[in-house]
Amino acid sequence: MVRFKNRYVLCEVVSEDPRCRQCIEDRALGLAVRDAIARVHGDYGLACCSISFTVKYLNAYTGTVLLRCRKDSYRLLCSALPFVRHLESRAQRYPCCLNTLHVGGTIRTCQKFLIQYNRTQLLRLLQNCTNEEERQCIQKSLLSCSLTEEQSQSGDEEEDDGTE
Amino acid sequence: RPAGRGMAAAAFERRVLRRAAEHHYLRVRLELPDGGARPSAAQFKQLVVTALRELHGEVGAALPVDVLTYEEKTLSAILRVISSGLVKLWSALTLLGFYQNRRCAFRVLQTSPFLLALSGNSRELVL
Repeated sequence: MVRFKNRYVLCEVVSEDPRCRQCIEDRALGLAVRDAIARVHGDYGLACCSISFTVKYLNAYTGTVLLRCRKDSYRLLCSALPFVRHLESRAQRYPCCLNTLHVGGTIRTCQKFLIQYNRTQLLRLLQNCTNEEERQCIQKSLLSCSLTEEQSQSGDEEEDDGTE
Repeated sequence: RPAGRGMAAAAFERRVLRRAAEHHYLRVRLELPDGGARPSAAQFKQLVVTALRELHGEVGAALPVDVLTYEEKTLSAILRVISSGLVKLWSALTLLGFYQNRRCAFRVLQTSPFLLALSGNSRELVL
């Protein structure tokens, strides 16, 4: 009955530099977030948030990050996320910022939110398309991510990565 | 709540306020067992803010702490902090170990939500 409760923070990495995408990896991001917490909340905050802190899911194409922490310290974590300003990896540092999208109690709720969010984002991208071939591309990927009856495919309704 | 009766009897009202004081006051003493130059008032405040920054980061360092009085001879001071920040300040003072590479320690002598209560100390009472 008494169990450790976690909070899962869903964020997206926003960067103007396109090369930042290859720099998005779990260790670099984890270090950057820990460094920001240490700066903003000191030794106590760092220790509090590091108890059960991991990067659970990372998608370099869309820049989606899922972080896990204890329920008692998720506020410390969320308040330190705006202070992450660069990502460093392999001696390259790129400016970026983290937008918090959703805070959930389980991975499943975050996944549900992410599916919904990606749907609206795809629609918005379609509206903001300037180029005709971009439009074709997005329409094709929208039509391709649908439930199929085939046994071979798993038929998820999840988003199609890639086109941005 | 006023008493039930009538207007002839004086109405008795009792109000209890919990945690109503907005500031807490601490009388502290800095111990420097290795001797050396004593900090001035500004350096003392800098030391307190540094302790907060080490333990609680930028958020801790931004806590409104005031040094109300400071005596350089005895290295004792009266600090004022907002009540919600008392735990952070006290823990930061406890865990501060070094001042300019010399060992140091903060001793908290008295603490109270009322400044007047710091004037008397029953521990130093001479009977």
